[in-house]
Order: sequence, then C-alpha cells, then structure tokens
Amino acid sequence: MQMEVSRRKFLQGSVALSVAGGSAITATNLFGSGDKAHGKLSITTKTGVGGDSQYVATLCEMCVNKCAAMARVEDGVITKLDPNPLFPKSKNMLCPRGNAGIQAVYDPDRLKSPMIRIGEKGKGQFKKVSWDEAYKYIEEKMTKILEEEKDNRSSFLFCAGEGMAEHTFKTFYQAFGSSNWLNHSSICLQTVASGYGVTIGAYPQADLENAKYVIMAGANRAEAIVTPDTMNLFKNTKGRGTKLICVDPRFTNTAAKADKWLAIKPGTDLAFVLALTYVVLSEELENKEYVKANFNGFEEYKEHVIGNKYTPQWAEKITGIKAETIIEIAREFMVNAPQSIYYPGRRSTFAKNDFQLRRAMAIFQGLGGGIDCKGGLVFGSKVKIKNHAALEPIYARAQSRAITKKADAKVGEAGYDDCAIVTGGGSWLDWRERFLTNKMPYKVRGMFCYKHNPMQNMPNTKKTAEMLKRLELVVVIDTMPSDTVMYADVVLPECTYLERTDPIKTFGGVEPSVAVRNKVIEPMYETKPVIEILRGLTNKISKPLFEISKKYDEDIQDEIKDSDEESVYKEFDITKPFAHDQEYLNKHAVEDYPGAYNELVKNGVFYPHKSTDFKQLSVNEHQYYKEKNKSYSVNGGRAKTHSNKVECNLINLSKKGVDPMPVWKDEYNYKVPKDKFRLLTGRHAQFTQSGTANNSMLRDLMMENYIWINKRVAIERGIKFGDTVEVSSKTGSTRIKAYPTEKIAPNQVFFIHGFGEESSELTWAYKNGGNDNAVIEDIIEPTYGAAAMHETNVEIRKV
Amino acid sequence: MARYGMVLDYKNCINCKACEVACKEENGVLLGADAHRIWVGVDEIKGEYPLLDIVSSTFMPSQCQHCDNAPCEEVCPTHATYYDDNGVVRVDIDKCILCSYCMNACPYDARYVDSRTMTVDKCNFCSDTRLSNGEVTTACQATCPTKVRIFGDLDDPDSEISEILRTREHFTLKPHLGTKPKLFYVM
Amino acid sequence: MNLKNIIPIKEGFTLKSLFEYEKTPLNNFVAVTTISLVLLFFMGVITYLMHGHHAYNVTREHPWGLLIGMYVFFVVSSTGLCIISSFGHVFNIKEFKIIGKRAIAGAIIAILSGFAVIAFEIGHPVTMMIYNVLSPGLTSAIWWMGTLYGLYLTLIIFEFILLQKNDHKWGWYFSLGGLVIGVIAHSNLGSVFGFLIARPISNGVFYPVYFILSAMITGSYLIFLLYGFRYKMNFPPEVTAMLTKLAKVLGLLLAILIFFEAWKFLTAIYGGKPEKADVALHILGGANFWIGEFLLGMLIPFIIVIYSKGKAIHTLVWASITGMVGIFFMRYDLVHDTQLFPMQTLKIREYQLAPTWIEYFPSFAEIAISIGAIGIAIAMYYVASKAFELDHR
Ligand SMILES: Nc1nc2c(c(=O)[nH]1)N[C@H]1C(S)=C(S)[C@@H](COP(=O)(O)OP(=O)(O)OC[C@H]3O[C@@H](n4cnc5c(=O)[nH]c(N)nc54)[C@H](O)[C@@H]3O)O[C@H]1N2
Ligand SMILES: Nc1nc2c(c(=O)[nH]1)N[C@H]1C(S)=C(S)[C@@H](COP(=O)(O)OP(=O)(O)OC[C@H]3O[C@@H](n4cnc5c(=O)[nH]c(N)nc54)[C@H](O)[C@@H]3O)O[C@H]1N2
Ligand code: SF4
Ligand code: SF4
Ligand code: SF4
Ligand code: SF4
Ligand code: SF4
Ligand SMILES: [Mo]
Repeated sequence: MQMEVSRRKFLQGSVALSVAGGSAITATNLFGSGDKAHGKLSITTKTGVGGDSQYVATLCEMCVNKCAAMARVEDGVITKLDPNPLFPKSKNMLCPRGNAGIQAVYDPDRLKSPMIRIGEKGKGQFKKVSWDEAYKYIEEKMTKILEEEKDNRSSFLFCAGEGMAEHTFKTFYQAFGSSNWLNHSSICLQTVASGYGVTIGAYPQADLENAKYVIMAGANRAEAIVTPDTMNLFKNTKGRGTKLICVDPRFTNTAAKADKWLAIKPGTDLAFVLALTYVVLSEELENKEYVKANFNGFEEYKEHVIGNKYTPQWAEKITGIKAETIIEIAREFMVNAPQSIYYPGRRSTFAKNDFQLRRAMAIFQGLGGGIDCKGGLVFGSKVKIKNHAALEPIYARAQSRAITKKADAKVGEAGYDDCAIVTGGGSWLDWRERFLTNKMPYKVRGMFCYKHNPMQNMPNTKKTAEMLKRLELVVVIDTMPSDTVMYADVVLPECTYLERTDPIKTFGGVEPSVAVRNKVIEPMYETKPVIEILRGLTNKISKPLFEISKKYDEDIQDEIKDSDEESVYKEFDITKPFAHDQEYLNKHAVEDYPGAYNELVKNGVFYPHKSTDFKQLSVNEHQYYKEKNKSYSVNGGRAKTHSNKVECNLINLSKKGVDPMPVWKDEYNYKVPKDKFRLLTGRHAQFTQSGTANNSMLRDLMMENYIWINKRVAIERGIKFGDTVEVSSKTGSTRIKAYPTEKIAPNQVFFIHGFGEESSELTWAYKNGGNDNAVIEDIIEPTYGAAAMHETNVEIRKV
Repeated sequence: MARYGMVLDYKNCINCKACEVACKEENGVLLGADAHRIWVGVDEIKGEYPLLDIVSSTFMPSQCQHCDNAPCEEVCPTHATYYDDNGVVRVDIDKCILCSYCMNACPYDARYVDSRTMTVDKCNFCSDTRLSNGEVTTACQATCPTKVRIFGDLDDPDSEISEILRTREHFTLKPHLGTKPKLFYVM
Repeated sequence: MNLKNIIPIKEGFTLKSLFEYEKTPLNNFVAVTTISLVLLFFMGVITYLMHGHHAYNVTREHPWGLLIGMYVFFVVSSTGLCIISSFGHVFNIKEFKIIGKRAIAGAIIAILSGFAVIAFEIGHPVTMMIYNVLSPGLTSAIWWMGTLYGLYLTLIIFEFILLQKNDHKWGWYFSLGGLVIGVIAHSNLGSVFGFLIARPISNGVFYPVYFILSAMITGSYLIFLLYGFRYKMNFPPEVTAMLTKLAKVLGLLLAILIFFEAWKFLTAIYGGKPEKADVALHILGGANFWIGEFLLGMLIPFIIVIYSKGKAIHTLVWASITGMVGIFFMRYDLVHDTQLFPMQTLKIREYQLAPTWIEYFPSFAEIAISIGAIGIAIAMYYVASKAFELDHR
C-alpha cells in the first residue's frame, strides 16, 4: 500500500506538468511552445492510481473507423483512452493510433487561435487574430469576390476530409449554395464503391467473422485497419477456420498472416480475376442456381471471358502468378462458397483499370452466391435516426458544378472532358487540372477546406501548391498546422475530437448500432468545434451575402417583391442550421428511441437489441446480437441493384465510353523501364495518412518512413540500411532512408504515405521521411477521374 | 490473493503495437527506444522475393514473464524486486538502488531504467494503475484489436486462462532456464 | 584520543610534507600524471552529478559498463595483494614477510578506489546502505559482495593497524580473517557473474575460481610494480629474493590461467551450444582477447618468467605494466562479454536491423571516473607511504 501512495504523488506531479506545459504554449509564439526548443517531448502520465477519475464515452477520430472509447479524465486532463466494449463495430479495441489520441490533444504544435496570413503563401507567416477578426476578414474578401462574380456562389470550392462532423461542414456548403464539392472519394475508394455499386447495388461489407475462404487482394487489413474486419479476420486465420489468400505485390503483415501470399505484378489484378472467372466458368463451378436467379447478362459475360481466352496460362504471363495456383484458388473459392469472400478492398484505383477490376471482383463473388449472406459479402442494416433538416437554398446565379462536358460528345453520349462519370465527391485531380489550365467554365476564386489536407493527400504536390497560391481566399479549418494550412489565408482552429460533441452517427452492418462522440474536456486555447465555428461565421456573413444576392439574384428580387424583405431573408438565413448546440441536435436525432439519448451520453452506444442481446462472453469477447437478430441477409440473398441482380453487362456504360464488361487491354500490362522502379504507397498500422506524423507517441514507435527496396538490388547499387536516397519522377522528388528487404520485388519500391511534411510548424513531422505525393504522377483513372496512384515509375539515387 | 498470468494467442497478433501505446499511456512510460515494458518481436523474413518463408515472420508479443522463479528477484540485493501477493513480480522504487543486476539477470530483456526516478521499471501487470482499482484486465489486453491477450488467475481453476492452459497446447520462452514464466504462448 | 594512539603515523608527517618530494624527472612525471588523473576523476564525477546516469553509455541491453569493470579491477587488485601478502604473515613463508605492510596498504587503497568507482555506478548508494540492512536480499550475490567486502575492508584495516603496531599475535588472526573473508568475498564476486543463468558464457563455476586465480596474478604484478617503484629498481637482496620467488609463483599461476582459459573456450565451443558457443567464438575473433588479455596479460609476463627462470625481475617490473593492462582488459571484457549476446534477438521496430552483438563503448564520464580512479589510488598510496612506515624492519 505504501507503494501506491508514493506513486500517487508522482502522478500528480506529472499530470500537473503536462497541463502546465499545455497552457504555457498560448503565451509564447503563435504555433510554438517552450517545449519545442528541446526537440523532445514526452507527455505520458502515470494514471488511474487515484480513485477520482471520470470516464466519458467518446468515439475515436484518429482515422475513419470511429471506434468507441472511454476517456479517463483526472484533474481535467485526459489520462487514458480505453476501448469501450459496447460498440459492435469496434469490438472492444483501440488501435495504436486510437490509444495515442491523447497526444493529438496535447500536441504543443496544435493550432491555438485563428490566424490571418501576413507573409507569402506557403511560408507559414501568420498573425494571431480574434475569431471576430477572422470572420470579418473572410466576410470582406468573400463579399468582394461574390460581388465581382455577380453572386455566382460556385466561385467558391468546398472540400472536406472524412469525419463525424463532415456533414456539418457540408451543410454549410449547401447553405452557401456552391456546387463545387470535393472530398476524399476520388483519392480513396471511388472506384471500388462505384464498381460494386453498379454491379451488385452497393459497396458491401464483408462478413469475415464467418467466412471460410478469403482472397484479400490490394487490401492490407493487418496494417490498414478497418473495423470490424481487422478484428474478425485475424482471429480466424493461420489454420483456425479461415483460409486467407493475400494478393499483394509486397509482403505485408496481412501476407504474414495468410496461408498463401501471391506476389502479383502491380496493376494486373484484373487479369487475375478474369482468369479465376475463366476457371470457374470453363469448369462450371459456379453456383448455377444462384446465377440463374440472380444474374443479368451471365451468358454474355461467360462468352466474353471464355471467348477472350482469359485462361490461367494467359494470366500467368501478365500477373506473375502461376496458372496452377490460379486454378487451385478458383476451385477452393467455389468449394467454400457462399462462405468465401473476394474482399472488395477500400483504397482502390491503384491502376487505370480499377473500376473494371472491381466489377470483375463483384461478379466473381456473385458466381459463388456469396452475396447478402452469412460468411459472404453483406449489406447489413441500419438503426434509423433522424437527420436534422438541411438548408437547400437555390441561388439563381450560382453556376452548376465546374465540370466540362466532352466538347465533341456524340448525341446521347454523356461523357465529360476528363472522365466518364462525375459523382458527388467529384474528381480532385480533374478539378485541379482544369483550374490550373484555366479550363473552368467560370472563375473559382475561393476555397473552404475542412479536415482535409490536399497538399499531402493527392499526387503531384507542386500542382496543389500552385492551385492554393492562385486561389484568392483559402480558408482552412484544421487542428494542426498542416501543409495545407501553410497556404491558407485564414486559419480557423478546430478543437480536437476529444474536446467536442459531434453529430450522432448510425453505423450499419450485420450488427448495426448508433454511437456518439461526447465531449471529454473543454476545448483548449481558443479552439472550437466546427459547428460553433460555422455559427460564428454564418452570423457574420449571412446578411452581407443576402445583400449581394438581393442585388443580383432575380428570384430573390421577385420574392421580395411578392412578400417583404424580412421574410425572404428569414428563409435564406444561413445561420439556421448552426443555431443549435450539437447536444440539442443529437437529442433530436434519436428521439424516436426512449432513453436512447441518455444511454448514448452515458455509454456512447445504443441499439434497440442491446438490452436483450448484449452480454460479455469472456474476458475479451462480447455478444452484441443474438445470432437470429443479426442482419446477414437483408435482401433475400440478392443484389441491391434496381433489378436485384448482379449486373454483368452494363450497356449503359458503353454510352459513356466505358466498357460494359471488364476487358483486359494490352496497355494494362505491367512495364517498368530498366533501372527504374514502380512506386507503391499505402498504410501503416501506427499512422493515419498525413494526419498523425507529428504525434510523438506514434513517432516513438516508428520515427519515420523508409523506402523498401529489394535487398539484392540494394546491394548492387551499394545502398545500405539507413542510407538516404533520392526518389524522383517527372513530378518531383523526395528524400528518404532506405530499408533493403526481400519483401518487395526487384523493380518496385514502396513507402508509407503521410510523411515528409513541408510545414515547418510541425516540430516532429517537418521534413521527416519521404513525401510520396511529391513524386507520384497525377494520372487520372478514366471512369471516375480518380487518382491512379501506382502507375508512377521512379528513379533512385543514393545521396 | 491470486496468481496472475497471461496467455498470448500469438498467432492472432498483427504487430500493430496498440498494446505498447496503451501501456505507455496507462503507466506513464516515457518515450524513447529503451523505455518500454512491452514489445512485439519479428524476424526479418527469410527467402528471396517472391519465394518468401511466411512462417519465418511470425509476430511474437512479449513483456515481463512474471517468472515464478524469477532470476531478477533472486539477484536483487535490497528486495526492491519482489513477488507481490498476486505473484506479480514488481519493483519497489523506494528500495531500488539501480545496481542494474536484475537487468543483467533477466533472460527476457524485460527491464529498463526509468529516467525520472532512476530506478528499474518493467511490466507489473498494471497492478498499481488498474488492478488496485478493481479492474480485471491490463491495459495491453483491453486494447488489443485481435485479442491476443488473456489475463487471469492461474490458481483459479474456473478462470478462462486456466481453461485455455488445460485445453490448448502452449509453450513458454527459454523454459530450460527454469524461470517458470507465467506468460504462455498458445498454439 | 589521538589518531596516533590508534595507528602509528610517521614522525614529521604533516600536510605540508605531502608536497615535499625528491624532484626527479620520474617523480615529477608521476606527480603530474597523478594530479591529472585525479582531476579527470572529478571531471567525470561532475559530469555524472550534472547528468546522472545519462552521462553513461550503459543501455537496457548493456546495463553494466566500464565502471563495473573498473570496480572489479580494483577489488581483484585488493584481494590479490591480500593473498600474496598472506604468504608471509599468514603462512610464514620467509621471503614474503617483508611485503606485509605495503601489500595490505595497497589492498586497502585498491578496495577504497573500487568503492569510489562503484559509488558512482550504483544509482542510489544511500538507499543501498539503508535497505541492505533493512531488507537484505540474502539470495543476491551483490548483497553478499557488499557485505563481505565491507567486512573484508574492516578486517584488513585492523590488520594494517596491528601490523603498524607490530602486534603480531592479533595481527595474525586478522590477517587470516582478512584472507579468508577476502577469498570468499572475491569468489563471491565471481559468482555475481557465475549466477547469471541468462548469460551462458558467464554462468557456472568458472568465474568464482578464476577470480581467485587472477587475483593472485594481479597481486603479483602489483608487488612487482610497488617494489620496482619503491626501490627505483635497485633492490636490496631480501627484496630480490622475494621477487625471484614471486616470479616463479607468477609463472605457475600464469600457466594455470592459460590452461584454464583454454579449457573454458574449448568446452564453450565444443558441441556448439547456442549463445555460449557463439559468444565464445565471437570473443576469440577479437583483438581485445588476443592482444589485451592474452598477449599483454598472460603471454609476455609468462615468457619472461620461463625464459629467465624467474630471475629477470627488472624486466618483470616492466612486464607487470603490460600485465596490469592485460588484467584491465580481462576485467572489462568479463563485464562486456557477459552482455554480448542480446536477450532480445527479434526486431521490435519496423525499421531496424535485427539485433546482433550488443555494442558498447564507454562515455567520457565513464572513462574519466574509471581511469581517474587510478590517480585516486596512486594519490592515496603516496599519502600512505608518507604517513606510514610501509617497509618491513
Ligand atoms: N500517395 C498517397 N496519397 C493518398 C493515399 C495514399 O495511400 N497514398 N491515401 C488516400 C486516401 S485513402 C485518403 S482517404 C486520403 C485522405 O486524405 P485527407 O482527407 O486529406 O486526410 P489526412 O491526410 O488524414 O489529413 C487530414 C487533415 O485533417 C486534420 N484533422 C485531423 N483531425 C481533425 C479534426 O478533428 N478537425 C479538423 N478540422 N481537422 C482535423 C489533420 O490535421 C489533417 O491536416 O488520402 C489519399 N491520398
Ligand atoms: N492504420 C491505418 N489504418 C487505416 C488508415 C490509415 O491511414 N492507417 N486509413 C484508412 C483509409 S482512409 C483507407 S482508404 C484504408 C485503406 O486500406 P487498404 O486499401 O487496405 O490499404 P493500402 O495500404 O492503402 O493499400 C493496400 C495494399 O495494396 C497493395 N497494392 C498496391 N498495388 C497493388 C496492386 O496492383 N495489386 C494488388 N493486389 N495490391 C496492390 C499495397 O502494397 C498495399 O499493401 O485504410 C483505412 N485504415
Ligand atoms: S481504427 Fe484506430 S484510429 Fe481508427 S478509429 Fe479505431 S482506434 Fe481510432
Ligand atoms: S495489440 Fe495485440 S495485435 Fe497489436 S501488437 Fe499488441 S498483441 Fe499484437
Ligand atoms: S521476465 Fe525478467 S523481469 Fe520478469 S520476472 Fe522474469 S526475470 Fe524478472
Ligand atoms: S537495480 Fe534495483 S531492482 Fe534491480 S537488482 Fe538492483 S536494486 Fe534490485
Ligand atoms: S500488463 Fe500492464 S504494465 Fe504489463 S505490459 Fe501490459 S499494459 Fe504494460
Ligand atoms: Mo481512404
């Protein structure tokens, strides 16, 4: 007992220290703190030794997954994040980043107050201003632009990264009335979501808990963590129920957990899937009953695949995977079907053919019948919650989205200049290119950016910098002085996820639920949640914007004529969606379920079956739903397309210049010139894209990214472990340390995305490691305008 | 009064190192390469691309083994290292003289020096931060995504850990040294 | 009560007399070296006091560094001198009677120097004093080491006082006591390493026995050095007789040591037991062993003894310098080699090379304290030789 007491004293000391360290930061300079000078900071505290801690149910936002956490607060300081076992999606876990979320709050580099740029763009020279000054500055510049653009609301671009409050920001975009919206989809999952969408009607989830056979190609669940997939899968692999085939050019941690690892040549997965399909169709291994009842265009597809001789032998030459292996896998897959899964993947668009690849994958999955069923791909269900009403004002003078139709479009052809189809999330690369080459149908002069880091997140960093420089008013809402923040005219600091309540969200799946992020501590410094930022901003700009519209917008003028100005303004008032507190809106969202709101505030998670079904099964495992209440099958085992069938042959696509069935083309062959390397990029379990590189706790696990280069090639080139190399392409170059390994092919290199930041205000991330997007070429995938990220060949030079 | 041990279902481990961060945050372990109570080891892969030896890259999570016959305890001159009532091998920082003998004596590299107190530190099964508050899991166990870790009372025949050890094949590290580890790797 | 009543101090010994010495070039050189070393020691200590253990290059994998090696070096020297001196006044071997006082003074000084070094290695020496008593770790070789060396120091201090007082009866008892406790303490020090089951290269019976053997060799080298300096190589006949005899003993001890080492390595390597054989082969691949330990510490002195049948005592004084350098390497290597093999052989970070041999090179503070401590020893010896009658009359 003596011991516990002395520990307790020690704790108080160190907690106090970290708080002091936190508040001392405001006093000094804009970004910095005294701690930065030491170049070393450790803000861990010994915790939980006193009895006076409080727990707040929250949701992690260190990545897209939103795992449920219980935050422990001691003396106003968050001292620990533990998994909240109540959430079926995250199943009682927090990954390393989730655990290190505390450091996102106490990072001394955090944005602390609103700022206005005073120096050259990109140089990071700002002056600290009050919120009011910041809003005022935005108002002035914005009204000037809108005045000059005669109230074309689309002269402002809005972009956002994924997040719980993304929708709040999107509401602002809608209320503002612009039609230019860009989000992460075209640099993330556009092609896979659409490929499955048009083929089976939705981007499905995978029931990895019950699958017996899984092909995981181009996805790395051991490192790119997706819940509950990561947890479900690896409890069953290695001879314990699920056979795992990993198809990846690199030997990943997923490969290490697989029964078989197939080192495919980058960009050739389509040939692999077509050959698997060939085996199934030629040996008639498909689930005939299922296909008969649930396929559209099966015969054409069969003829197409057999007729084109997409044989395993053919695919062997293209993919590098042995024909026998392809045959064996096709057979095994069908033997285990419908409890076998060709895993859809998440970040897609590695190559230009990706949309067709995902179609081929979806069709192949369907051949086994593993759709909308236990152990296969599932659609799941959702707990319905109420959306709060959004404002959808129409401004007569707002131009439609800045995309250009094909100049030489034939009658009925709906294609666009740079890609065939434009979806809600748009195409970042197309958009940027059109902007830079002055191909916009009208001037876009301003940009609002929320929780998104275009400087780091899309290929060809130079072009993004150029774009940001040319935009006249760039407003960035972030928590950190990111590379994009460096190019902002106005910086609005949001508080971190642990300092705010966010919109309640419903999480669909086999075991659906609703979860909430409750505020754990009050926002530090002068930061605020985005809803409050927007409340302040709209209060400032709503009237002036109305004045401009009044001047130019004929509809409004008419309406005023019909009634009176005040009542017209009332309708157009854009402050309305942000008038209420998040807590109030959340209460409304779940008011159909008695007691749900309180449950959510207290325990973070709610679903109607919880009271009857939830129970702890063992020290680690919980039952969320009784088997009979799980949503394995919600559409009778059918696809969710309009026809409720798997669409093999989409004639409509050909009208847009897109192949109606997946076709292999010679240009898809993998080619790397001698002495060059194909650059691959991807995830690491301990980092999230560009957002965590400054997290000192995570950096402690891995100081920086290294470039994987084949060991034998490294020896030939005299490159040793830790040597710095320069990686360069047409686009640009970056420097990074070398990691010679046999886990990668001799003509490929790989490094983890999200390092090599250029923002000097990030003490630890600044120029730490290599930045892949400085090197990756902006190659546009033709169907959706997504970024084809693994088509760049690079040179490597030891420096 | 219990005899705590941990089972590691190590084939589940994906080397994410959530356990390591959880431990650091929970126990106030300082940052720095030397300062860690828990780790996951992996061998550089054997073979040449693409003929790689998958099994050669198994992930091995580890930490203090809480040896029943702990060399670190045996060599400690001041009884700073001791077995607590629950069989957990712990260090009393008030008694530790930093002779570093235990660090040399531990066959598992489980100990390091905490540079604030300048005494030896190591995994203590979260005894002071969690168990003393009535919690029944360790920070590393609770957070593990693939549920590699099962902590429990070896003396309680009804505990999950006892059940697993009765029914699943397992091994301990360096058993020939006679340290009687209480970290069990199940196959 | 006056100090002089307890222990006879030389007539005319004053603080001032410490600064009066014959200004020969050799003496000047020794004086300057000693003062430099003492300064170095304090620089090391200051660095340590400023930065704590961070001033040292010891790590998680290599927790014991040069300071432990140096500590062992000093206590081995002490035990060695004690054992050799016991030839005379415990076992009554005539020729060795003359070395008693000087050797015991040396033994006291050596162990005090060792304690001076270890005081800066142990992180919390005061805590040690308290809890060594309050919660003694009876299974700990380090606890026994502290306790036994404490006892040993007490006994040889008494022994020295009694020798100074020419109280031969009590002197004999204390000599015997000092010898017995010294030998136990010292072989126990070997067991500090020998008990390490984690370290197969050190684990076992070898070190406890080897420590006694190498202590006697160290003692012999030191006697040569002490007498060489005392008489500036002009040895009176009784000293010549003693040294010649000692040379023969030394030859025998060296032969045994070489024989021991040979078998140690052969048994370590034979059969290729993991860790043990690897480490043994690694040691045999290094210059530290062959040049430091074997050539300087064993071979050169051994060849001189054999070649001259023990008569080349002048050359042996010089060879004792190489011998002591060799002994230093033996101590340093003993500590380092024990920790050579990593206890964690897997990579625990994404981007790191697989752990191989644990590397260690002492920091400035460690070198300063260790080497500086030699200055402390010489200074203490100088004071002792001024203050006390160390020659046999
Ligand atoms: N080369 C290459 N490029 C890639 C990828 C790749 O693998 N390789 N991956 C792609 C993928 S899949 C995706 S999804 C995109 C992601 O690209 P982004 O959507 O840009 O996501 P992040 O890179 O994580 O950057 C998120 C930004 O949000 C900030 N932020 C974090 N939390 C908050 C918060 O609570 N509030 C606010 N306001 N800001 C916050 C962070 O500081 C950071 O600046 O990147 C894509 N780009
Ligand atoms: N820890 C962590 N988890 C995350 C994220 C994170 O940043 N960190 N981000 C989240 C987000 S936004 C996303 S989109 C997902 C991304 O999740 P994933 O898409 O699973 O992950 P990535 O690492 O981007 O890419 C997957 C793998 O594709 C391989 N690959 C590259 N080219 C080819 C090819 O041509 N064929 C095949 N078969 N494989 C290829 C790469 O080597 C890589 O291992 O992860 C999510 N989870
Ligand atoms: S996967 Fe990790 S980072 Fe992502 S939400 Fe879950 S705990 Fe947070
Ligand atoms: S948290 Fe679990 S899966 Fe992750 S490294 Fe630790 S033991 Fe392995
Ligand atoms: S693993 Fe090491 S530190 Fe832990 S009890 Fe065993 S010997 Fe002691
Ligand atoms: S370093 Fe501390 S705990 Fe370790 S043996 Fe010495 S006194 Fe005991
Ligand atoms: S049991 Fe606790 S102290 Fe031990 S490694 Fe796990 S988290 Fe750290
Ligand atoms: Mo993504």
